[in-house]
Amino acid sequence: MIAFTDIVGMDLAKQALMLLAVDPSLGGVVIPSAVGSGKSTLARAFADILPEDTPFVELPLNVTEDRLIGGVDLEATLASGQRVVQHGVLSKAHKGVLYVDSLSLLDSSAVSHIMDAMSRGVVLVEREGLSEVHPADFMLVGTYDPSDGEVRMGLLDRIGIIVPFTAQNDYRARKKIVSIVMGTRDSEDTEDELRMLRGLIEAAKVQLSHVSMTNDQIQGLIQTAISLGVEGNRVDIFAIRAAIASAALAQRTEVDDEDLKLAMKLVLVPRATRMPEREATDEEMAQDEPPPPEEESEAEDENAPPDNPDADAEEEQEETPDMIEELMMDAIETELPDNILNISLASKKKAKSGSRGEALNNRRGRFVRAQEGEMKSGKVALIPTLISAAPWQKSRKQDKKMDGRPAGALIINKDDVKIKKFRDKSGTLFIFMVDASGSMALNRMRQAKGAVASLLQNAYVHRDQVALISFRGKQAQVLLPPSQSVDRAKRELDVLPTGGGTPLASALFTGWETAKQARTKGISQIMFVMITDGRGNIPLQAAYDPNAEKAPKEQLEKEIEALALSIQADGIASIVVDTQMNYLSRGEAPKLAQKLGGRYFYLPNAKAEQIVEAALS
Amino acid sequence: MTQTVKAAKKTSSAKAKATPEAKAKAPAVTKAVPEAKKPTSKKKQALAFPFTAIVGQEEMKLSLILNIIDPRIGGVLVMGHRGTGKSTTVRALAEVLPLITRVKDDIYNRTVEQYVEAESGKKGAAALNPEDVKTELIPVPVVDLPLGATEDRVCGTIDIEKALTSGVKAFEPGLLAQSNRGFLYIDEVNLLDDHLVDVLLDVAASGKNVVEREGISIRHPARFVLVGSGNPEEGELRPQLLDRFGLHARIITINDVSKRVDIVKRRREYDEDPEAYMKKCTREQQKLQKKIVAAQDLLTQVTMDDKVLTDIARLCMNLGIDGHRGELTITRTAYAYAAYLGKTVVTMEHVKAIAGLCLRHRLRKDPLETVDAGEKIDRELSKVLGEAEATA
Repeated sequence: MIAFTDIVGMDLAKQALMLLAVDPSLGGVVIPSAVGSGKSTLARAFADILPEDTPFVELPLNVTEDRLIGGVDLEATLASGQRVVQHGVLSKAHKGVLYVDSLSLLDSSAVSHIMDAMSRGVVLVEREGLSEVHPADFMLVGTYDPSDGEVRMGLLDRIGIIVPFTAQNDYRARKKIVSIVMGTRDSEDTEDELRMLRGLIEAAKVQLSHVSMTNDQIQGLIQTAISLGVEGNRVDIFAIRAAIASAALAQRTEVDDEDLKLAMKLVLVPRATRMPEREATDEEMAQDEPPPPEEESEAEDENAPPDNPDADAEEEQEETPDMIEELMMDAIETELPDNILNISLASKKKAKSGSRGEALNNRRGRFVRAQEGEMKSGKVALIPTLISAAPWQKSRKQDKKMDGRPAGALIINKDDVKIKKFRDKSGTLFIFMVDASGSMALNRMRQAKGAVASLLQNAYVHRDQVALISFRGKQAQVLLPPSQSVDRAKRELDVLPTGGGTPLASALFTGWETAKQARTKGISQIMFVMITDGRGNIPLQAAYDPNAEKAPKEQLEKEIEALALSIQADGIASIVVDTQMNYLSRGEAPKLAQKLGGRYFYLPNAKAEQIVEAALS
Repeated sequence: MTQTVKAAKKTSSAKAKATPEAKAKAPAVTKAVPEAKKPTSKKKQALAFPFTAIVGQEEMKLSLILNIIDPRIGGVLVMGHRGTGKSTTVRALAEVLPLITRVKDDIYNRTVEQYVEAESGKKGAAALNPEDVKTELIPVPVVDLPLGATEDRVCGTIDIEKALTSGVKAFEPGLLAQSNRGFLYIDEVNLLDDHLVDVLLDVAASGKNVVEREGISIRHPARFVLVGSGNPEEGELRPQLLDRFGLHARIITINDVSKRVDIVKRRREYDEDPEAYMKKCTREQQKLQKKIVAAQDLLTQVTMDDKVLTDIARLCMNLGIDGHRGELTITRTAYAYAAYLGKTVVTMEHVKAIAGLCLRHRLRKDPLETVDAGEKIDRELSKVLGEAEATA
């Protein structure tokens, strides 16, 4: 075990955890960081600086709903003949820490339950005949690698501190870490340091109620939140708490500029949806230098005639100079019949078989009903099992063979056993990959947009989701991560840049990554809808190496082929829609379809409805 | 209720409820079904933030109040930004709700009439005299339906403990029973599991909960005001469920600095000492409660001119709203709104104030539409109003 004080680097993350230790009402700390940066080691070492006996519960990613929320304790109930309630993981973390490694990979129902518990401070258990309230007031510490996907915004909203993304530690720091792991540090030093730190935190907790904050300071934080486009009011309160905790740690009675800066850095800036008007224009600057104190004095004046009420703020969001340079696209409606949703994945050879939407199984997903079955073949559904056993208890107990059992014990036969059937919560994920390069981009975008919009409108029927990836310039970009939200799609699709080279390999790669992430969240059926002429001319490397924009044709083809074959082998269904004029086409798109094991459609000037017809034929 | 009545009820229901399966298999006795339990004690949760201290978000607050005044409005869906006090507001509601009368200890919160009707309708039951039925006053129930709830807890199921210890098949009421004549609240309603949505749709349409499972058969009233909240970015709501909600309130982040400072200050004051803060707001809370009760009393006297009704119908027609739920909701809501303002005659001004709430979610959805639903409604509304003036 590496101690908190022995961890090198990640100073901001350490500071964040200390603030949380001082004021647990900050809700939690999220640390996004690359693999191998030591984030999980740090998170686990958080226990070192908390008072002794503070619960520290690590949440396994594959946690079931039962274990998370709580329920009936099977063994104890059977042994005693009385219902014994088992608290879930959320409740076990009460007054302590709930730690989730790879937070972004946690499945969405678990995330919902955590959100719910965090907003109530309790868990409502309304399950399998139980109706109880379990306390669950915990601090959530989460770590994740952003390349695995993002954490749901709703959850982040309940967590006070988000540590700005840190890439790998530098070489020197890593060397130091190694020496610590090898045990070259004196353990007595460590113990002393930890004791000191714990003392500091205890003192800060006492100081907390003595720290005051001026009106101007509060206004300054709120003004910053507004100019960064931070959603909701909860975050304001977190920012204020963070500033106060920071002052308390320094044993001050007043919040100063350093505290405000820290609060901005840890609470506000990571949630920015737009760049502040007067300040930095790029993200780096905004992170390093949060709006300086001038903001605050200005905030006062702003009270009278505010220069930017809601309407202004909305407009500014859309008019960042970078975006204006890009070619804007109007939202043009394409009529798309409802039946695009009927593209049957089951009929595709390579795709996973099974009916769309739901599949009953014995282990994962949501518990829907109980059926007779072997105890080994799944999870035992306790209540139904007990119900079928209950009426027989008297007669079974009179049976002599049962002598010597404890008086209260239940007698359950094999026939009584019912096991749980679960339903996978999955629709199909349609990943649209749209070639936004070259002159035909506008046309393709229009089609894609119509298709996405129409799919989303019907998505709730099948719980289908849609993702949209556009590729142009040096690399592909996920414009819309898997989503069911019409609102969100509308917003993301409002501005679609076009033009430039064709990074087809990057698109395949990005699509595949998106598919893999979706699979970890329980979506098993995935379909690529590629709208492109199939003529990739930018290699994968270009995304990382600006000098690698040109590559020999063979290399480009090799990349695409390797990716396509892997995607096919991974059971992802595909269709390729080629909208290029015939005389320009050199047959690249059919080749791509073939490599993907998908179907190819040649549809110059296609309307979205034609795409559908073709796909259904 | 008297002893004799209770006995009669027991024998009658025992006959009705012994299903063939139970007879064949269970050697134990099947006995009375709804076993009058102690009223489920109100769950102790942290003190809610006072309703009257919530800054802004008038749309949501008004929607909730109108639903208290007339529960037939059909509930409210609150959708909007994260961290804007959606669930805080709904949970604060309980404190301003008036009291209702129910049959003493009745697990379904029934009125005397409902109780007498249901119980004397049973085969072999002795005639019930309403005057013999004891009653009690309870606060309007607000029941929280968490996302992780299982169907058996929502609908009710066999009381497992009783089944095990005494072999008796007794019904343990679920959340639907508890919420009868009250509010049923679902936070993150757009994430609710499909099969629970099915159950809710069924019950909301019929006002009854029918349980046929695990060898029991029960039917009980379940009329509740459905309140849902969520963030539209997390997912869409099933259209059938969307349609069930009478009103649709939208909520956005307040971008006014001084208001936000005010919110933060109130919240901090509350966090420091919830009880003291609650006390500070008592007067305001009581004032609101009184106003709501007064509106409830006034509601029966409120009238609406036929001309206003015609205008409402024209508005719905112009907006292309399917079915008649739109008109019906506007009318009821306008009545409640007039009563809330202490008026006895509904005018187009009242209609104007609540039309957006009633219709926003009933417009045909077009994902590429850029005009906000509220604006569209306002536009049609002013057209209708203009026409009305012209003809007058």
